[in-house]
Amino acid sequence: MYSIDELICVCISRQIEDGELVAQGMATPLVAAGYLLAKLTHAPNLTFISAIGQTFCQKWAPLGLTTVENLWLKNGLFAIDFITGTCDFLPRYQPKEFFRPGQVDSFGNFNNVFIGGSHEQPRLRLPGSAGIPDVTVYEENVCLYVPRHGRHTFVPQLDFRSGLGHDAQRTQGSGPRYLVSDLGQFDFGGENGRLRLTTYHPGISPKRIQAKTGFPLEIAPDLHETEPPTAKEIQLLRDKIDPLGIRTLETLRGAHRKTKLRQILTAEKTAK
Amino acid sequence: MATMQDKLVDLTAVLPLIRNNQTVALGGMTIYRRPVAFVRALLQHQPRPQNLTLLAFTAGLASDMLVGGGCINQVRTCYFGLESFGLAPMFTQAVENGRLTIIEESEASIACGLRAAVGQLGFIPSRAWQGTDLFKVRPDVKTVVDPYSGETLTAFPAIQVDVAIIHVLKADRFGNAILGGNPTIDESLTHVADTVILTAEEVVEKLEGPVELSGLPVTAVCHIPNGARPTSCYPAYPLDGEEILRYIDACHSGEFEDYVNYSIT
Repeated sequence: MYSIDELICVCISRQIEDGELVAQGMATPLVAAGYLLAKLTHAPNLTFISAIGQTFCQKWAPLGLTTVENLWLKNGLFAIDFITGTCDFLPRYQPKEFFRPGQVDSFGNFNNVFIGGSHEQPRLRLPGSAGIPDVTVYEENVCLYVPRHGRHTFVPQLDFRSGLGHDAQRTQGSGPRYLVSDLGQFDFGGENGRLRLTTYHPGISPKRIQAKTGFPLEIAPDLHETEPPTAKEIQLLRDKIDPLGIRTLETLRGAHRKTKLRQILTAEKTAK
Repeated sequence: MATMQDKLVDLTAVLPLIRNNQTVALGGMTIYRRPVAFVRALLQHQPRPQNLTLLAFTAGLASDMLVGGGCINQVRTCYFGLESFGLAPMFTQAVENGRLTIIEESEASIACGLRAAVGQLGFIPSRAWQGTDLFKVRPDVKTVVDPYSGETLTAFPAIQVDVAIIHVLKADRFGNAILGGNPTIDESLTHVADTVILTAEEVVEKLEGPVELSGLPVTAVCHIPNGARPTSCYPAYPLDGEEILRYIDACHSGEFEDYVNYSIT
């Protein structure tokens, strides 16, 4: 058996090709675990570009919460500042990156700024757009992931567009190529770059996925069930990559999440 | 050339350098190497500065405390949060109550804005934001046409900073400093800000180099051991997750003032 966080990590891992350069944002452990799984299976020559230290790194370490700086600052090949990273390295090297949208529309435009109300007084203020309005404009390698698929995330109309999707006005790059949620996998191969269901996760019906999506979904002609994780993938995730279960912080909510957070902190302290 | 000036002073001497209506920048990133002890002292100092504009590439714990303390009326950042620990409580509350003006930024608008300011230029061009809604909330940001290719680019304006406060791993009396391996945007902040305050885990007589920050633009150095806690100061100490949760809980229970006034970590 496996849990949904593990299936999402495995789906992310399978999108990685050997020799690629991959970037990860802040507080995205599902993505970090997926990248590490790729590194330990089919993509040993993966290079990470990190926010901490703005470095290239070819080594790896298990996921950590309070120890995350050790990985990048001990093993990074160099350290540049954010200004060089943003102005020079991201446009030059265009790493593959997975973003978690607060809202996403059928063309893969997305929002990480606010939901409801107005920009001046939103109903829900999100942390902000980070580098999303920058790299989605010119990059070819944008992917999305949604740990809790629902109509609050998959919306017909965004409250704010901070990530550029498939848009006829675009002059550079491409909208997102791929999206994974806790219900299925998608590409943007529909009409004019519309979201298209390509696989449904085991036990999930395409009908349920449509019901939880706030706009009509296109369906790929070869729609099939998502290939489940292998025993080896699950063992690597649980024993080597993320023994503390930090990846679940993206799928748990409320009191369960807080309890897990405290457990992880205690475990890290004990391990020191 | 002038002789090198001894810039080592007490924290109490630098607090009055923060004045109403200034743009104040905090070094470090989110929950790493933030000048928390400085912010705490500033909030305990009376009267607290008012109507500050906060600039942080990524804003986290120290920024949230400044917002909670009522010092900030405008925020310029591309991310305001506590990473895996959750939303920044006082910031989120202030925005949703309409009490804070957000000058929406992205990584590129801050990076280009500081690069322009360091180079004494009015703007730096970039492909960022083209096609997004950022222009709707930032009508002050204009576009420019590349005279060679004809491509429309975003002309990110220079960002001016009055005071930068940066916590460093080690500094000498003259303001030369070592950050500890995570540069963030701190070197640029020292070049741009009119006043640069360093708080340092350790102060030595003279760093022989190589250093990460030059003392030339530094105004003052304060010796504050544990000055970043509960954020990290790599490699001296990691972030203190339990303490960050304690802060969040205090904010959610309406005990922000008790937290900043009484608790010593």
